[in-house]
Amino acid sequence: MEGLNSVLEKVGRGVGGVVGRMYQAGRDAIDVVIRTILPFIAFVGLIVGIINATGIGELLANTLSPLASSLAGLLVLSVIIAIPVLSPLLGPGAVIAQIIGVLLGTQIADGNIPPQYALPALFAINPQVGCDFIPVGLSLGEAEPETVEVGVPAILFSRLITGPISVIIAYVFSIGLYS
Amino acid sequence: MDAAAEAAEWFIGVFQLGGEWFVAVAGGILPTLIILLTAVNALVSFIGQDRLDRFAALAGREGVQYTFIRYLALPVVAVFTLTNPMCYSMGTFVPERNKPAFYDAAVSFVHPITGLFPHANAGELFVYLGIAAGVEALGFGLGQLALRYLIVGMIVIYIRGLVTQFIVDRMSARREAAAATA
Repeated sequence: MEGLNSVLEKVGRGVGGVVGRMYQAGRDAIDVVIRTILPFIAFVGLIVGIINATGIGELLANTLSPLASSLAGLLVLSVIIAIPVLSPLLGPGAVIAQIIGVLLGTQIADGNIPPQYALPALFAINPQVGCDFIPVGLSLGEAEPETVEVGVPAILFSRLITGPISVIIAYVFSIGLYS
Repeated sequence: MDAAAEAAEWFIGVFQLGGEWFVAVAGGILPTLIILLTAVNALVSFIGQDRLDRFAALAGREGVQYTFIRYLALPVVAVFTLTNPMCYSMGTFVPERNKPAFYDAAVSFVHPITGLFPHANAGELFVYLGIAAGVEALGFGLGQLALRYLIVGMIVIYIRGLVTQFIVDRMSARREAAAATA
């Protein structure tokens, strides 16, 4: 009888632990949605409304579409975005990359940009990723101040090289996509 | 009066457009995302921090074969389990001179991963989703795009790690030389 009791207790504890963790996982998920995702959707929704109603969207789209529908254009775009002075300014929260992403998406839907350019475009609009966050990111990895001093310019210059490279690799991998 | 009414309509139209977009996005992606977030949170809590730390310790070793762990496997695992921005804390396990390159690799993976695993960077989904929405509107499936985005992302972060490492080594050497002559 005692053996049975201890088995039951173990099973009960185990199940309780698993359920508790999964419940906590759900709580964390809802937390992120309410604190981070929904506010951002609201913010982008406002931007989408404004740029569509004012015509800024068309202007931006007309500038971006020709660039985004050829390999050369995408390479130019990736180099511009990777310019070391510009890239940290374009970085924060990936807000600009996300707005450009939404704009290019509508252009793809309208048929102004061929869909196979979606993949290289994803890399062309993103060589600045995290360029605003280098000191903080390095501190999270417990880097010394000297490492940050060298790391910031090194990463910014590296993007000028790897930005266009990423577009070319993505272009090669987009062969046969949606055609 | 007509002009004023037109202006008023235009004004409210801005917010209606935004609102329609909000509902489409919130209704379209959030339900799946919430369940996925829950599943991954639970998985990470079952794996536990200890096992992650033990794996991360491998990334600090010398040798070419360990660059694959340092600039490919560890960034991918870190971004998947710890998500943006806590994934960069895995840099703790990387030798000092490799930290910028590790950060560069990890941060460059926070968008390519979102095509298949949106939990990893839930606050910045629209880089991928924005473009993907256009492809979807044309009637194509997104599986191909998401998978290729992930694979190209992995190739790019490894290259980025190596290139940044090369530049850091050059700059550090030059600094040391300057310090020695000064």
